[in-house]
Amino acid sequence: MEKSTSAPIEVYQPFRAGLPPLRRYWRSLWARRSFISEYSRSELHSKHFDTVFGQVWLIINPLLLSGVYFLLIVIIGGHSDKIRYAHLTACLFLFYFVSNTLAGGSRSVVKGQKLILNTAFPRIMLPISAALIGLIRFLPTVFVFLVIRTVIGLPVRWEMLWAIPVAFITAIMALGLSILISCVNVYFRDVSSFLPYFSRTWLYLSPILYEVAQLKPSIRKFEAFNPLFPILDSWSRSMVHAKAPHMMSLVQGLAWALGFLFIGTYYFLSRERDFAVRV
Amino acid sequence: MPSAFNNEHKPGDLAISVQHLGLTYTTTIDKRPTLKARVRALGRGTKQTRIVRALDDVMLDVPYGSVLGVVGANGAGKSTLMRVISGILPPSQGRVEVYGKVSTLLALGVGFNPALSGRENVQLGGLAAGMSRKEIAAHFEEIADFAELGDAIEAPMRTYSSGMFARLGFSVAVTVRPDILIVDEALSTGDAKFKEKSLNKIKELRSDARALILVSHGLGTIRDVCNEVAWLHKGALIQRGEPNEVVDAYEKFLKVKKSAAVNEDI
Repeated sequence: MEKSTSAPIEVYQPFRAGLPPLRRYWRSLWARRSFISEYSRSELHSKHFDTVFGQVWLIINPLLLSGVYFLLIVIIGGHSDKIRYAHLTACLFLFYFVSNTLAGGSRSVVKGQKLILNTAFPRIMLPISAALIGLIRFLPTVFVFLVIRTVIGLPVRWEMLWAIPVAFITAIMALGLSILISCVNVYFRDVSSFLPYFSRTWLYLSPILYEVAQLKPSIRKFEAFNPLFPILDSWSRSMVHAKAPHMMSLVQGLAWALGFLFIGTYYFLSRERDFAVRV
Repeated sequence: MPSAFNNEHKPGDLAISVQHLGLTYTTTIDKRPTLKARVRALGRGTKQTRIVRALDDVMLDVPYGSVLGVVGANGAGKSTLMRVISGILPPSQGRVEVYGKVSTLLALGVGFNPALSGRENVQLGGLAAGMSRKEIAAHFEEIADFAELGDAIEAPMRTYSSGMFARLGFSVAVTVRPDILIVDEALSTGDAKFKEKSLNKIKELRSDARALILVSHGLGTIRDVCNEVAWLHKGALIQRGEPNEVVDAYEKFLKVKKSAAVNEDI
């Protein structure tokens, strides 16, 4: 009770370069974990606030997306290759998880300007919320895909469960990218304008519109530079072909994901005290 | 109810101690930092930044059970000082010690997302400030009552008038019963009735042994409720002391005659 006569509760002093005290930061972040879920929920809610379908859009969006490609490949293209269609749909959904999170993450800190200027809180909550929003939007698409693959009659095997660790690795990568790009965007606002073109290019460079096996060996050399390459390959193998993914792909994907998470978090934490005068 | 915002303090105990506080930051001349501007600046070899000295060697003590008024012209560093005390901006020099939970009027971040309803903004602001869902739920009715928003609390905040914004913000700040309350310029947009209600609330909190900092251009209010007044000018503390004395000096500085208009305006 006699706190005021003893030590001060908070002391603010000039900070040294580098990371803030991590244990304290983590405690402060953990205490606010309900903010992250509440913020994501409200954001999703407000996005469809005025629409007729409301939250049903979370299902309609992936349905329409796969419908467009169904039209393109099966009806116009005249291919009745259901594996190809399933591969494209599954990989597209996973890709959109990463690229939507990237887009949301890039805006997260700048959008939270008013909150940053008026409240002391661990700023990393904002890109984490953006990643959670991406995840929440991704989960219904998995459900939609499972329905699609049942309808077109793809085999169901236990190996499909490998999709769970693959999705987990993807989530780590999306989180890392969200944290990294939210911070970069504070200093270079152009990033959010470049992003749609970057995402589109990344989409074409990834094995989504084609399968890994179809690539020429000369081009496959470059796959090592695409973080999504091993992930999409594993995802397609487990979700579409119901086979176990290559261990090497999983390890590579995880290494990329953790790399982004560590670099992003380090960059963010060492910069975030500067945000209030930057946003 | 056990609450992080509910510690007992004896009047006279130190609440905030600001020691030799300085704050400088560099800002780009362009309003928004872009890659293009950077590349250009690199090409010319010039630095496109300037250093802003927002606060300079400020010394302040605020004991519990008192109200400190802060006056100063626009750009004097009043809001910056409040942000340092709330831990939003890290100081460049000096030290700030805070002996309690701070709630700035805007600290709960009310209205940070205009697309969300008043209720959602209050909840999110509270959660961001470190309150629990339970604490917020316990206070919510009181907040809504005090703000007198009625059903508008469920409407998106982009539909609010500036007075409604201010009322909700003030209600949140005072209802969570912070140890230290910082009110930055928010009384000025409420109507006469709400102004009076908020002034009464401030006086109530003062007698409740909380510490308050009131930043306002309404010199009448400052004279009325403050125990001490600090006058900031261009980041430096010019004068600090008995309210009437400091406000008189400040008015003289502003070359504003003591007219009814100044006294009435909060």
